[in-house]
Amino acid sequence: MAGMLSFFQKCRSCISQRTIVYVVCLLAFFIIVFGPLLGLFLDLIKTLLSGSGKITLSLLFSERKIVLLGESVGLALAVSIAGIGVGIAIATLLWQTGKKITYSILLLLLALAPIPPYIYALTWSTTLYALNQFLASIGAALVPSTGWVISFWVQLMALLPLAIFLSYIGLASVDKTLVEAARTIRSDGRVLREIILPLAAPSLLVACGFLFLISITDYSVPSLFGSDTYALDIFAQFSASNSPSATFISAIPLLIVTIAVLILCRSGIRKLAQTPNWMVGSWDTPPEFPTSFQSIQKGAFALLAVQMMVIFFGLVFSVGSWNKFVSTVLFSVNQLQYSCLVVIAVVLITIPFSLLVAHELMNQNARSSLWWLIILIPIAIPSPLIGIGIISFWNIPTLSFLYGTSLMPIFASVSRFAPYAVIILFVQYRFIDPVLFDAVKVFSRDIIDEWFEVKIPLLAPGLLIASGVVAALTLGELGATIVVVPPGHETLTIKIYNYLHYGASAEVTGLCLIMAIVTFIIGLCAVSSILWWRRRGILNQAVPRIGDLNE
Amino acid sequence: MNHKKRTLLISGIILLVGILLLSALFFYPHEQQRTVVVYTSVDQVFSEPIFRSFENQTGIKVLPVYDVEADKTTGLVNRLLAEKTNPQADVFWSAEFVQTLLLKNESVLAPYSSPSAYDIPAKYRDPDNYWAGFGGRARVFIVNTDRLSPDNYPHSIYDMLDSRYPGKSIGIAYPIFGTMATQSAALYSVLGQDKARLLLTDLNKRGIRTVDGNSVVRDLVSSGQLDFGLTDSDDACNAIQMGSHVTIILPDQKEGEMGTLIIPSTIALIAGAHHIEEGKAFIDFVLDPNTETSLVTAGWIQLPSRNISVHSPCIGNTEIHGMAVNYTDIYPGLERTKQDLTEIFVR
Repeated sequence: MAGMLSFFQKCRSCISQRTIVYVVCLLAFFIIVFGPLLGLFLDLIKTLLSGSGKITLSLLFSERKIVLLGESVGLALAVSIAGIGVGIAIATLLWQTGKKITYSILLLLLALAPIPPYIYALTWSTTLYALNQFLASIGAALVPSTGWVISFWVQLMALLPLAIFLSYIGLASVDKTLVEAARTIRSDGRVLREIILPLAAPSLLVACGFLFLISITDYSVPSLFGSDTYALDIFAQFSASNSPSATFISAIPLLIVTIAVLILCRSGIRKLAQTPNWMVGSWDTPPEFPTSFQSIQKGAFALLAVQMMVIFFGLVFSVGSWNKFVSTVLFSVNQLQYSCLVVIAVVLITIPFSLLVAHELMNQNARSSLWWLIILIPIAIPSPLIGIGIISFWNIPTLSFLYGTSLMPIFASVSRFAPYAVIILFVQYRFIDPVLFDAVKVFSRDIIDEWFEVKIPLLAPGLLIASGVVAALTLGELGATIVVVPPGHETLTIKIYNYLHYGASAEVTGLCLIMAIVTFIIGLCAVSSILWWRRRGILNQAVPRIGDLNE
Repeated sequence: MNHKKRTLLISGIILLVGILLLSALFFYPHEQQRTVVVYTSVDQVFSEPIFRSFENQTGIKVLPVYDVEADKTTGLVNRLLAEKTNPQADVFWSAEFVQTLLLKNESVLAPYSSPSAYDIPAKYRDPDNYWAGFGGRARVFIVNTDRLSPDNYPHSIYDMLDSRYPGKSIGIAYPIFGTMATQSAALYSVLGQDKARLLLTDLNKRGIRTVDGNSVVRDLVSSGQLDFGLTDSDDACNAIQMGSHVTIILPDQKEGEMGTLIIPSTIALIAGAHHIEEGKAFIDFVLDPNTETSLVTAGWIQLPSRNISVHSPCIGNTEIHGMAVNYTDIYPGLERTKQDLTEIFVR
């Protein structure tokens, strides 16, 4: 007994209180994010031990599955590359406008992110039908209404707002001083081609990876236009077998592809070495690009304008009268309130934990590789499986006091979207000179000074962007939430899909508008916070403040 | 950091933690009141008024969890299966019967013989009282009246193979999900595996539009993007109610034809439920003829299971030739049928 006591005393003297808190927080993050996967894994082992015939090799490999996966990868690649291409053209166009216009457009684009892809698909389907009727009336060739081309087009249009937003952030990661230095000796076109794009390539690769992931896991848009994807096959497997284990196995090929893409993105992120200025364009005076590039910019802008018009008129015409909109809002106050509280809780849990994990990823060792694996796998798991995994993990006698509460939909969104926050914060960490962190460790009096005087101001843009992205994604989450939402509660997204099935288009569009407005407000708060901090000089003074800490 | 700033910081952290705790407490189920947890795949617009009526009549609060078509009917049933060892639901009220049969087979349900079910025909009741069915919907054609003239309306499922109709002008939901999966399984049961497989393979070869759900079929036909499609009668009736230029055709109604599939709603008590008495009270309420009457009037039910005073405003009291199929016979082959159809349709 005395030996054990002395052992613990020795341990206590070796490990500081700060380390204990750090490890506990990392453990908590691991449990929340990876818990559903552990639940699924345990379920798989149980199924294998029981000798269930549902687990067969054909779940992993068959000619049909390989073809389907190839086509899905092709579609996702095409959508993500085209999305970033159009995104770059429009982001460079934004450099030529004022800051207020740029911020307004970016906020508007962010606000459109949580609208369910199905709404885009249906709106585009109606538009194409109208277009074909017009083309038929003048005797012209019709636009194909099914197939991969139209699936590509509509998915590209649905992801365009996010693609532009991510491209802008990617391009803004380039150090402004490098751009201005290059402009003194080269034309703006060559600066873009030879300086900005190569330097922004890692960030743009990450943005492309994000779009790829969203595209390859979505089945709703392609299936409306008659193109089957691997994501749909996973749902077909789940529906046919009702076996999470069999579905998990059938998701493995997709998991491998998405992890490969994310590893590629990771190597891109590791190459980042610039200082970001995400809230400022990279030009002191507006750039002048060559005529050929201007034509590309105009074409890209025309695409965006068409997309905005289609979705705007699709939503506004369907919403009916102002009174109808107000009654929809009043009828959905509970869902709105619940969704907002879930979003707040998810952001509050996700961001601090993600910061710690992002810090872990900075190390170049085996532990960091393990953390990469932990955060990458949940991204590739279909959302209902995350929900089922949460039930398997949390609905056990020792933890059941938590199960059935609102912590479950909160954990579901944290599990699904914390990896995105970790990656964004990791990028932000990479942007910051590590010498600053070393200096603050040496000079700071305590951890609160270290974080609130220096680290948070330095990380602020990344923190706010991660919060905005997590909030927007949480607001639109359906697949995992519906499996774990506590009885008697409902999110706005669940209500939208309920009305969608009923065909209440006015209510659906009204609720979509509410979602867009809520996201717009969240984005506005994030941008205002950065601007407020900037005006007060907090962001720019973080570095000098390291010196103050020493005084 | 000076003292004032530190105090502000600590206050901020306490406030945040407080908000989180309050949120968790606020959302915790209120156990003081009598409650019943109902998992339902019946559309919210139809089920919600029934919940309110039940609450007003009994004082028992209903805590519902709704399913949505968009998650491909994998939501609530898989949740019930995953929660089997520690169930949260008291009652499962399904929009159809196959999922209920699956839950019975997986020992998720508990037997309960409701006194309200005394006049429901035996074919709608489980012989072991694990579930009871009532008020049905039918699988119907929804036809766009602007695009097809009455003499060109389809009348049989086999008309979907007729060259008069271009493949791309016809729509069905994926036969792997929802009631279209149930109908496919019924076709396998009635026609036999070879004939049913051939029919569905030919449909796929014709390039008919296979879309995300029955409501999508309705929307595409209503907007004139398709000539006609196969959907549920409540979806088709809803389109008529919205003023769309569509009509309903009940397929295979002629002498010697197979008839159309009628899909009853089903309700069942969950094994190990926390609120058994409240659950039973809710089942009694839903199976009561008055509730069936309300659901017919509201538009959820088109084919009542018993003689009630009202008729569906959309279908009326038309005599319907239902598919001669035993519901319990459909379930055993369902998984195999779905796997088979995945091979055909998802490629």
